[in-house]
This record gives sequence, structure tokens and C-alpha cells, in this order.
Amino acid sequence: MARQSSLKKESESIKRAALQGLMIVVVSVVTLEATSLLQYYFSSRTITEEANRRAEGQLKATELQILSVTEQVETAVRNAAWSVEYQIGKPDSLAAITARMVEHNPVIYGSAVALIDKNVAPYSFQDGDHVTKSSLATEEYDYHSQEWFVKPLEAGGGYWSEPYYDEGGGNIIMTTYSVPVMVKGKPAAVFTADVSLDWLTDLVGSVKVYPNTYNFMISRAGRIMVSPAETLVMRHSIQEVARKTDGSEVFAEVGEAMLSGSTGNTQLKYKGKMLRVFFDTITRTGWSMSIIIPEDEIYGESKKMGFVVMLLQILGVLLLIVILYYTIKNQKELNQASESKTRIEGELQAASDIQSSMLPKTFPPFPSRDDIDMAAAIVPAKEVGGDLYDFYIRDEKLFYCIGDVSGKGVPASLFMAVTRSLFRSVSNHEHSPAKIVTTMNDSLSESNDASMFVTFFCGVLDMKTGHMVYCNAGHNAPIALTDRIAELPVDSNIPLGVMSGFAFTEQEADIRYDDAIFLYTDGVTEAENINHELFGEERMIKVLHNRRSASEQMACVAEAVREFRGEAAQSDDITVLFIHYLGKDESDGKVFRITFDNDISQIPQLEGFIEKVQEATGIDSSLAMGLNLALEEAVTNVMMYAYPKGEHGNANLKAIIKEGAIEFVLWDKGIPFDPTAAPKADTTLSVEERAIGGLGIHLVRNIMDNVSYENKNGMNILKMIKNTK
Amino acid sequence: MEVKITEQDKTLVAQLAGRLDTAVSQEVSAQLQPLVDNADRTLILDCKDLEYISSSGLRIFLTIRKAAAAKGGKVIVKDISTEIRQVFMMTGFLNLFEVVSSAE
Repeated sequence: MARQSSLKKESESIKRAALQGLMIVVVSVVTLEATSLLQYYFSSRTITEEANRRAEGQLKATELQILSVTEQVETAVRNAAWSVEYQIGKPDSLAAITARMVEHNPVIYGSAVALIDKNVAPYSFQDGDHVTKSSLATEEYDYHSQEWFVKPLEAGGGYWSEPYYDEGGGNIIMTTYSVPVMVKGKPAAVFTADVSLDWLTDLVGSVKVYPNTYNFMISRAGRIMVSPAETLVMRHSIQEVARKTDGSEVFAEVGEAMLSGSTGNTQLKYKGKMLRVFFDTITRTGWSMSIIIPEDEIYGESKKMGFVVMLLQILGVLLLIVILYYTIKNQKELNQASESKTRIEGELQAASDIQSSMLPKTFPPFPSRDDIDMAAAIVPAKEVGGDLYDFYIRDEKLFYCIGDVSGKGVPASLFMAVTRSLFRSVSNHEHSPAKIVTTMNDSLSESNDASMFVTFFCGVLDMKTGHMVYCNAGHNAPIALTDRIAELPVDSNIPLGVMSGFAFTEQEADIRYDDAIFLYTDGVTEAENINHELFGEERMIKVLHNRRSASEQMACVAEAVREFRGEAAQSDDITVLFIHYLGKDESDGKVFRITFDNDISQIPQLEGFIEKVQEATGIDSSLAMGLNLALEEAVTNVMMYAYPKGEHGNANLKAIIKEGAIEFVLWDKGIPFDPTAAPKADTTLSVEERAIGGLGIHLVRNIMDNVSYENKNGMNILKMIKNTK
Repeated sequence: MEVKITEQDKTLVAQLAGRLDTAVSQEVSAQLQPLVDNADRTLILDCKDLEYISSSGLRIFLTIRKAAAAKGGKVIVKDISTEIRQVFMMTGFLNLFEVVSSAE
């Protein structure tokens, strides 16, 4: 169920991720496209404006150049007109005037003076490198009906004729500027200047707004004057072109607009291509110039750029999709990896649970017994550890053991499980620790392919007598807490699993009421802090000094190790087993213990201790106060003088309740000092003579019935006996 | 442990209540300094509520007593319990102090 739901959860999370990915793609695309569209809109507007500006500018510039030529012609004609008027009656002079016009003005190809009421029209024209004089008054050429003759008279002013091919003079396009010449207020002649329009073709053709533009010019009547399509020039009109161009009414419209003399631009479609047409009309001559630019030309760059941008966008989106795909895929794999990690962790946890369920873990373990108090704990460094402890009572004997398998983790824990079950099965029918250990060793050595071993300590404690037999197989010597705190002496046997057939030796010890055995693995003493200092045996023993219940004692050791280790990681399994023997002592009395630090502020704790003694013995409160006073004096003496100033030390006190007496034992590891050797205080002295000190031991002597001191094993031991009968 | 000092006429009365053990002796000694400073007068140590005294407490009593001897004052120990009286007996303090009972 759990797995299904986790799979469901996982697929949901993948779905969610995919949806998120899709959203990212969509938002990206929308944002990109919106930005590009906006950019395209603004940039195309800018490009259009730029194109307009450029085209219109070119049109104006071209117009100005054309005007500079026509102006030149008009000025020349105007300047000569007065001499025509003056010489009107002299045909030879008129011919000379025309010849001078041509000679002096290179732009003027030919010039004529055509009289109105006579058929006289002298004409001069450029003929190679000289000027030839001729006449237009021929029989086949009725100049009186020519446009250049009629129109200026009608208009009463200068007139530019429709361009025409000069058939005589080498197929050049010409136009004629003609003005009426007035004599005495009446028109008498028409004075003309023919202008070649060759330069116009070059000028208009040279205008290049964009690389591929199509420029043309039409005359007042719509005749095509300049065009890249030379076959059209002078042969067709704009209207004809419009008609021939398939369905392009727009062309005609443009033509009309041009012919109407307006200026502007428009769009038209030609052969499936959009064209932009700019046009302008020179009023003076009636010529309209037009620049046709394919929109491809105008927007080509921007379109090309737009295409590149779009391509980049597509690439970007594809890349985004690829990245998202792999991200989601990774996520999926991660989910799977974490799932398998969870599974392994779960299995290890289960292994750890099984392992710890093998060990007795209910404390106190023998609630119905008042002769034993025990506590034990394993703190594995990894999920499963290789440390073990075990204990049980059979035939009024406590069988107990502690062990540390080489290595850590799963293999160590398996070896530990084997060791523990061997201990149970072997000790079930064997009382001798040496025999138990020897049998276990043979068994473990035989089937030990992995070359693992276990340091092991096994003890059998007779609950009735306090007699203990034990065997140590390479384990740390346990600490015995008796009147003093010291390692239990151990033989040097090899660890289990190293070599079969080894004969293990056992030792014996007698423990008394309230004595304790503290067993531990090297995870305690070898706990490292961040400075790589070891917790060590000394610190451990210091913690053991303060006697407490088994569970409290355990907690104190664990806390001390934890505090010492600080931020550093736990490197080894930590296992402790604490056995507090409370069986009958040969003194057949109860014992109370208290341990003080060398700190006088702890003195009030004595009151509670005395209360317990009082409760156990039924002594009256007057005696209790006296004992309190005597003990305070003795303990204060140790606190104040046994240890050098600033150095930590303990004062240990126990009260053994005996028949008819209470025996108090006070011991410390301080400077050897015998308080009983101090001189007796003389209570008969006067105020002036009495010393301030020395009262304490005097009170002890007075209150107690027997006070004795000995220095043993480096300890000051003060024994005080108070008879209660 | 509580110490309360009152002045009645020229007499200083110190009321001691609780347990005068080693742990509090230094503090009590400081609190009773006015008695040492005025040891030319009559000083009363009211022990009606004093439950317990250890040698460190006795030392304070002795210090006051010595000061009074030096300055010509007088120290009266009032209403000590049977247990404390025993302690006084054991230490010879009964010889050094004028021990009175309000019942008398």
C-alpha cells in the first residue's frame, strides 16, 4: 500500500513537473513571440519611414537637378528673347541669334525663331562639333500646327513640349522649350530651344534608393520618358503599360495620380510582389518621376533578421524543451534513487530493530528482585552495529556478557547475532565462564570465513554470595566500583574467532552489597571530539565517581560522552552494561552512599542522607542532628583541605547500618591527612585563649563512639562508628 | 538561613532562623558583621528559631564573643534548643557565653 501510494505520489509529481515544464515552454514562446511581434511592428514602421524619407529625398534631389537644367535653358531663352523681338524683321539676324543660342549653351541642342504671320523659321542645331543653320519653314513641316508653336501662344508664356524623338538627329529624346515673342504687345514669333534628354535618362536611372529599384519618368501626357525597360521609352504611355499589366488597376491609379501632378506614395501588386511606388511631379515641365521599390527590398533585411530571430527562438524553445525533458527525467530517476535509498534504510532499520530485540532492553530487567539493579544500552555508529551485551539469571546466577565485533555495519551485526545466540545456547548448560568462552570460540573460529573476531567478556555472578567468576577474551577490563573504583584484573586471553582450541582462563572476585561492575566497549573511551582527543578511561571513571542508580549512571556516562564529542561524528558503537549488586552483604545491613564534590555549597545534601539513615535505623532527631553535625565537620574538612585549591575532587560517604551501630566511612583521593592525629581542643580555655579552628574534629570525636583513620590504595579512609544501642 | 538584626535601646538583637551550616556560614558571618563592629554594646543572639549549628557557625559566635571581650561589650545567647545546648556543652561554649532562656 505504502509503495503504491508512493508510486502514485511520484507519478503525480512527475505529471506536475511535466505540466510545469509545458507552462514554462508556453509562457516562453508567448513572451518571445509577443516581443518579436512588437519589435517587428516598431521596426517595420521605422523601416517604412526610413524608406519614405529616402525615396522622397531622392525624388526631390533629382527634381532639383532637373530644374537646374531647365532653369538654365529657360534663362538662356528669356535672355535672348529681347534680341529676337528687336531683330524680328531681319531673318538673317534671327538665324544668327539661334546659332548663338546653340553655340553658347551646350545643353541646348537646337534653337529656332518661328514667325507667326510669315512662313519664316530660321533654325540652328548642333551638328557634330559645329553649328548648322537651317530652317523649319519647309513644305512638309507645317510648323504653325506644331505643339511647340501652338501651346506657348495659347498659354501666353513659356512651355515645355512633350518629349519626342528627334528623327533627323540620331534618335535622341528631345524636348522643346518655347516662348512667345511679343512685338508691340502682340505675339509675333515663337522662340524655341531644343534640349536633349539623354542626361535625364542617366540622371533618373542613376537614382538608387535600394539596390533594385525601378525608376521611371513620364511626361505630362503619360508618355514614358525614362525606364529601365528601354522598349517602352517613348513608345508607350503609362496608361498603356497599366492596361498591359495583368489586372493591375492600381498601376493605372498611380499613373493617374502622377498625371494629376500630385506627390505621394502608394502600394501596388505586380506579378505577385508588393511594390511601393513613390512619385513626384515637376510642375514646370509636367514630368512625373516615380521610384518603384519592391517591398522585399525595403523589408528584406528586417525580414531576413526576423527569420533569423525566429530560427533562434525555435532553437531556444527546442533547447528549453530538451533541458526540461532531462530535468524531469532526472527528477524521476532521483525519485527512484531516493525510493531505493528509503528501502535500504528501511531494511537497515528493520535489521537494527531485530538486532536490538535480541538484546534484553527492558530496564530494570528484574523488577521482582531487590538484589540487583541493571542498565545497558547500545548506541550504534551506523544503522546496525557490531556491539553486543546480554544477561539473564539462571539458578540464582547472573550470566552476563559484553562484546565488540571487529568492523561495523551489516557484516559485524551478523557476526554479533551469531555470537549472542552462541552465548545463550552455550551458557544454558554451562556455569564456567572459561568453558563458555572456549566453546564459543571454537564454534566461531571454525565457521569464520570472513576472519572476523569479537572481543568478549563473560561473567557469572552468584546472586546469593556475590561471588563472581569471569573470563575476559581480549575485551576492555570492566570497572569494579567497590570501596574504590578500579579495573577488574583480567587475564590476557585472545578475542573469540581468532583461533580454535585456545584454552581461555577465568578469574574470580567477590563483590559486596552496593558494589557495581561497569562494562563498556571502546566506543566509550575512544570517543573523539573535534580535536581528535579521546574521551579516555580517566574521564569515564570520573563520571562513575558519583554513585547513582544504574539507569542514572548510564545516562551520565552517555551524556558525558556526548558532551565531550560535541560536533564530532560518532565513529564507533558505544555500549555500556552496568550491574549494581544489592544482594545480601555479610554485614547484613543496609548501605547508604553519597558523593560530594569539593564544594561546600553541597553540604545541605547531607541532611537528606541523614534522614535516610534515620529512617532506616529509627534514631531520634537529637542523635540525627548530632550525626549530621559530626559528618558535616568531617566532610567539610575533606572539601576544604584534601585537594589543592581549584582542583576538583570528591568526598565519598557511606553509612552501613549494622545491628546496634551505624558505621560511616568517608573516603577521598586527596592529600593524605589523618584528622584523628590533630591535637584535642581544650574546651576549658577562656575566650581570649580559645582558637577559632579545631572545633570540627573535636565535635566528630565527641559525637561518634569510634573514629579511625587509614590511608589505603591512595585514599584517606575515615571510619566513624556510632552505637545505636 | 535567615538573619535579622534589630536595635532596641543600645542593644543589638540578631534573630537567627534555620540551619547555620558550613554552606551558609560565610554569608551569615557577613550579615552579622554589625555585631562585631558594635561589640562595645550589648549583643543578643536570638536562637529561638535556629535549628542547627555546625562548627563554622560556632566560629562566628566565637568571633563576636572575642570582639566583645576586646571592646568591653557583652554577648547574650538566647533560647537555644536542647540539641544546640548539647553542642555548646561539647565545645565548652556554655562557659564562654551568657546563655539565657526567655522562659526564665
